[in-house]
Formats: sequence, structure tokens, C-alpha cells
Amino acid sequence: MKEEMNMKINQLPAKTFGWLHMNATDVSGVTAKQTIKIETQKPESVVCVLSDDKLQQVETGMGKDMDQLRENIKGTPTFFESQEGIKEADPVRLKFFYNDGVKDYHEVGFHVKKDSSLTIIMDYQSEKSKDGLAAVQTKIVAEENSKVCLVQIQRLGEGFQCMNDVGVVCEDGAEFDVIHLILGGKDTYLGCRTNLHGQKSSMNAQIGYQVLGNGKLDMNYVADHRGKRTISDIKASGILNDHGFKLFRGTIDFKKGASGAKGNEKEDVLLLDDHVVNQTIPLILCAEEDVEGNHGATIGKLDEEDLFYMQSRGLTEEEIYRMMAKARISAVCQKIPDEKTRDEILRNLEEGVLDEA
Amino acid sequence: MKEKTYVEDIDRSIYDMKNDEKDAYKVKEGLTPEIVEQISKEKHDPTWMQLFRLQSLQIYNEMEVPDWGPSIEGLNMDQIVTYVRPNTHMSAKWSDVPKDIKDTFEKLGIPKAERKSLAGVGAQYDSELVYHNVRQEVAEQGVVYTDMESALTGPYEDMVKKHFMKLVTPRDHKFAALHGAVWSGGSFVYVPPGVSVTIPLQSYFRLNAPGAGQFEHTLIIVDEGAYLHFIEGCSAPKYNVANLHAGCVELYVGKNATLRYSTIENWSKNMYNLNTKRAKVEEGGTIQWVSGSFGSHVSYLYPMSVLNGVGAKSEFTGITFAGKGQNLDTGTKVVHNAPKTSSYVNTKSISKDGGISTFRSSVVVNNKAKETKSSVSCESLMLDDISRSDTIPAMDIRTKDADVGHEAKIGKISDDAVFYLMSRGISEDDARAMIVSGFADNVSKELPLEYAVEMNNLIHLEMKGSIG
Repeated sequence: MKEEMNMKINQLPAKTFGWLHMNATDVSGVTAKQTIKIETQKPESVVCVLSDDKLQQVETGMGKDMDQLRENIKGTPTFFESQEGIKEADPVRLKFFYNDGVKDYHEVGFHVKKDSSLTIIMDYQSEKSKDGLAAVQTKIVAEENSKVCLVQIQRLGEGFQCMNDVGVVCEDGAEFDVIHLILGGKDTYLGCRTNLHGQKSSMNAQIGYQVLGNGKLDMNYVADHRGKRTISDIKASGILNDHGFKLFRGTIDFKKGASGAKGNEKEDVLLLDDHVVNQTIPLILCAEEDVEGNHGATIGKLDEEDLFYMQSRGLTEEEIYRMMAKARISAVCQKIPDEKTRDEILRNLEEGVLDEA
Repeated sequence: MKEKTYVEDIDRSIYDMKNDEKDAYKVKEGLTPEIVEQISKEKHDPTWMQLFRLQSLQIYNEMEVPDWGPSIEGLNMDQIVTYVRPNTHMSAKWSDVPKDIKDTFEKLGIPKAERKSLAGVGAQYDSELVYHNVRQEVAEQGVVYTDMESALTGPYEDMVKKHFMKLVTPRDHKFAALHGAVWSGGSFVYVPPGVSVTIPLQSYFRLNAPGAGQFEHTLIIVDEGAYLHFIEGCSAPKYNVANLHAGCVELYVGKNATLRYSTIENWSKNMYNLNTKRAKVEEGGTIQWVSGSFGSHVSYLYPMSVLNGVGAKSEFTGITFAGKGQNLDTGTKVVHNAPKTSSYVNTKSISKDGGISTFRSSVVVNNKAKETKSSVSCESLMLDDISRSDTIPAMDIRTKDADVGHEAKIGKISDDAVFYLMSRGISEDDARAMIVSGFADNVSKELPLEYAVEMNNLIHLEMKGSIG
């Protein structure tokens, strides 16, 4: 890809006041190639396939411009397929290691067959203080009664731009869990759209993030409830420090016909510096009567009673804030079903990844 | 299969009465510099206002319609008459008001309310006020309550000039610019320092002419330590052509002053209600918005509070009821610009019979606004599966020293609540009616009793007996 692309990504499903600048995000001068090799570990039952029509049609959270970027790259997708009825205990591990200055785009896909289960760990890494572009589009089709757990960890260098785009279709009874941990990079764009097409299908998103320095985190989570009795639960928890900027878009969209559906959304943000910018826009769109939708947000400082309680136990305010900041990230880490990955991230946390906070 | 509960639409027969058009003067349809100049001439504007109107028109022509919110494609400005002067002059006696117009306001209950529970009334019919009066004891306290035109050329001209469209400028959005170009009518209120107006003032806006627009301007200045409750009501009969309301409300709340601004909006369902309301609140001051939106075909309505002084407060309590053919996009905006400011938002919305209700809000906490608190709560009730209800709240927080909370719920009438009430001997229909009308309690308990009764009548009586 030679020409730079100006992209409009993470568009809100329903626009609001233009002056808030939350409706979409413009990213200019994007250029990438498919350059790096993904380090892959997979169980034998999971096979690689060259193409998959269903996966190609999945819509993603960042939107059509990400598909256009894929077209411009003309790269080769990496598609996986599980076997029907096999509940795989070992995860598929994809490690993306980016060298300094690399601008890479990859498309991956997982077709998780009927009655099977699969855990996918995707780890984006580079050396600290390096820069580049890590763009990854992940598409998942979760067939009837399948279970998918997607864990994506972003721990890139301080100058990296990350475009992490996810799209999922859930058929009847399918369960999709996603864990997103954003621990590094400079600018992170994250889109995740789940089409709860099948009856009784569900999605559960756990998001943990820290945005430090001049970092930026721009998110767009969408749960499209189309099937009856579908369930979504989106929980985001994080900290902002220094000049960190974060925009959380979260949408629960009850389409007509999604009777009996339930959607919940919760955001909890701890602000640690007076120069941070925290933007939150949690939408509930509803075209169906028989649904239950809730969202809540808590933004700012720690609750005064909690603070007082901990101070009465001999902790200073600075120690309390540091402890609570770590607790937010480690609470999300604890949800990672793969012990090896979980321990590695928790060890990183203990070693002081978050001490700057 | 279980029968659906049906909630009847609001009875509009009182509001739908039509009078023959006996206007003294009206401009041609459309919007041109000539029409704007004609309005200016008719109203004997001072030169600065004439120029202001023409500049606003230019801004209107330059600006785009919003690319968010309900469609306003059915609104064709080339078919809207922007100024209609009724065949009468403003009077301080109801007996001087022409019979048909007086009868309209009688049926709407305005003179009765004035006698019973108001400190002053302004009644606007189409583009001009036909009645304006304030109780002597209130006037003696130095309270000024007059029509905007008189204020513009009278002893308060400088005060008006200093504040008029300074809070909502014509560049705010396309319909604020339209307002700046063709505004007419409305009220000016000034409450001197320390004066507490214990009973409310009310302005009522009635639009009778089909295909017309109403562009009244309300400017209220509540000086240091003063208190005022201002009530705004509006209605119109339904026609088959689009009518437009693009009013503008600018409220200046002084240091330690309190202003309560209550609105019961009941425009007809051919109305495009593109109204702009904004309050600027100084140190220790409080703005309280109470807003009921029941009418209109399309509404864009987001009263905004700009909390500029230390410790300034904003409270917003609202209800929106969207029925058949209605797309009501309502909510509020708050900007925290100073330390220790606080905002509290509590809204309810009901969608039925294909109606679309959208709650839209923004809370902005700037870097200077340390120790700020904000709480937003919105609840939506869907009464059938052909309606729609959306919640679009935005928060932009730029200081660590803030405590911002938000919660929203959407759903149907709770089966558990119906079951509980039925176990206490209440019929299912009554139980459902009770739950729906109780949903509006947040607003009705904030209104003066007479208005709460009127609003409850609007909702409760129409629901009861028509459910099942």
C-alpha cells in the first residue's frame, strides 16, 4: 500500500451534538503493509483455512474504512476453524511482535463450529519506547451453542499506534466473551461489534485500560441485539493519568424483534491528573418493548468514604490511588481464562508496569 | 395470546380549537432579506436590531441543518409565514382583548390561573403579545415584567442590548440564527437584587395561524439574591401544514439567586419545535428547569445550564411523552465552568403508538471546575413494540477532582409491579395505568399544584379507562 489513507472510524450508531466531537474519529495518513509474521500456537483440532465466506461478511466495530484498508493492503488473511463439538482446553495463541518503525496490518478470523469452544489469546507487543503501527482486524463467527473467549492484550511501545478492530456474529445459543487489556502504546483505536443474531446468544466484554503520558484511547463497542432473549454485558474499567485522553463509546442496540433481550453497560474511570480528558457516551437504542437495558458510569475520584476507610488503615492518599489503579487492571486480568497469560500479565503489574500511575 | 395494554393518546380537544384568521398584518411566506426588513419596520426596531436581524439571516443561510437528530425534511421555510400580527394591540385588561382570542385563553385557563395563583401573565397570540399584566405589589418591588418590544425601546433598552442573544448567539445553530432574524414577541423580566417573587409569573404562547412560525424571545435577569419562578406554556391547533416554533430563552441567574423555569409544552402534532433555552448561573446561584414535553411533531429541545460561578447549581427535571406521529428529541446540556458546581438531571420518557422518544444530554466538566458533582438519571418506558426509545448521554470530564455519575434504564411496565398491585386488590388495567402515570411523578411534584393537576390530568385521566 503506497498511498496514505484518511480514515473515519468508530462511528457512533446514532449521532449526537457535533461540538462534542464524539460521533466518529478521523485518522489521517494511514499506511501499512502485511509485514510481520504472527507467532502461532494452536491445538491440533483447530485448522487453518484459506478463505471463509461467512467471516468475510462480518461487520466490525471500527467500520467500513477498516475494510477498505484491508482491501488496499491486499494481504493474506489468517483464518482458523474449530471442529464441531470439540471443546478445546488449550487456547490458540497469536503473538504479534512489532519491530521499531513497522507499519503492519493483519486480518485474522475464527470460525468456531457448532457445539465447540475455543479460547483465543492475541498479544500485541513491541520493545518499549518504539513506534509504528499495529493494525489488526479480527472476525469471529460463533456457530450454534459454541463458546468463544477472545483475549486481546495491547502492550506496545510508547510511540505505537494500534488499530484493533473486532467483529463477531453469534448464532443461536452462542456465547462470546471478550477481554481487552490496553496497557501500552500511544494512540489506541479499538472497535468491537457483536451481532447477537441468534436466539439466546450472549456477549460479555471486560475492558481494562490505563492511558498515560500523551496517550489516547478511542473505543467503540456495539452490541446489536437481533435475536430473542439475547444478553450483553459491557464493563469498562480504567485509569487516566498525565495528559491521557480516553473516549468510550458503548452501544446496546435492541433491534425490533429482540424480545426478552437484556443489555447492561458499566464504566468506572479513575482520573489521576488534572490534564486528563475523559469522554464517555453510553447509548441504549431501543425498538423493542420487551427488553431491559441499563447503563451506568462513575467517573472521577475515589469515593470519599472508601478513601477515609483506607486512610484510617494507615495508607496515604497516593498509596491508595496507586493501589486502586492497579486493582482496576488486575481485576480484569483475573478474568483471563488462560493461566499462563494471566500470570504473565499479573507479574508485569507487580513488576511496576503501572507504577507511573 | 395475552391482549396488549393500550394507553390512549393525550386528549387534545382543548388545544385544537381554531379561530378564524383575522390578523391585521402578515408577511409573505418564505425567508428573504426583504421579509426580514419588513418585520423590522413593522416592529419599529432600533437600528442595531435591524442590522442584527440581517446579520442573523446571513448566518442562517450559511449554516447547515443538524446532521443528527430527527428529520426536519417536512419543514420547508419557503412555506412558513414568519410574522403574523393579530388584529389587536397589547392590553393590560382581558376585557380589551378581542372576544375570540380571549375565549381561547379562557379555555386554556390562563385568566383563571392569573386570578388564582400567578403574579403576572403575558399572553402571546401568533407573533405578538395581546395581554400583559403584573400584579401591583410585585411591580412595586421593582420587578419588571413586560413584552420584549417595549423592553427594547423603553428604559431597559441598554440592559436588553447588553444581554439579547449574547448567551445564545445566532452562530449557535441554524435555528438560533433564524430566531435572530425573525424573532417577535416574548417577555422581558428583571428581578432586582434581594427580591423574592413568591408566586410565579407565566407567559403563554398560542399559535393560531396555519403554516406560521412563532419566534418569541424570553429574556430573564434575576439579580443577586433574588428568586423567581417563571412558567411557560404553549399550544396550537393542528393543521395539515407544518408550523414552526423556534423560540429562544436566555436566563441570567445572578449571585446567590434562584430561578425556576417550568415549561409545559403542548404544541400540536404538525409543529416543528426547534427551541433553544440557556441559563448562565453566577456564584452560588441556582437554575431549576422543570420541563414537560407532550406535543409537537418533531422536537429538538435541550435546555442548557452554564455554571459560571463558584458553587452554582443546576437541576433539571423532565418528562417526554411521544405518541403517534411524534419524534421528540429532548434532554439537557450542562457546562461546569467553575469550582464546586453541581448538576442534577432526572428525566423520564414514555413512547407509545409508534412515537419516538430520544433522551440526549451532555455534561461537560472543564479543568477549572474542581470539586464538581454531577448526577444524571434517565428512565424510559416502552408501551408497545412499534415505538422507539433511545438514550444518548455524553460526558466530557477534564479534571480529576470531579464526581460524575450516570445511570439509565429502559424497559416495559414491570410485570412484578403489576402483580404486586393486583395482589392488593387493584385490577390489572388500573395497576398498569397507575404505574404509567406514577412514572411522571418526578415532574408533577416539581410543579405548582394547579399545573401538576393539569399535567396529571393530561396523562392519568386519559390513560385510565383506556387500558386493557
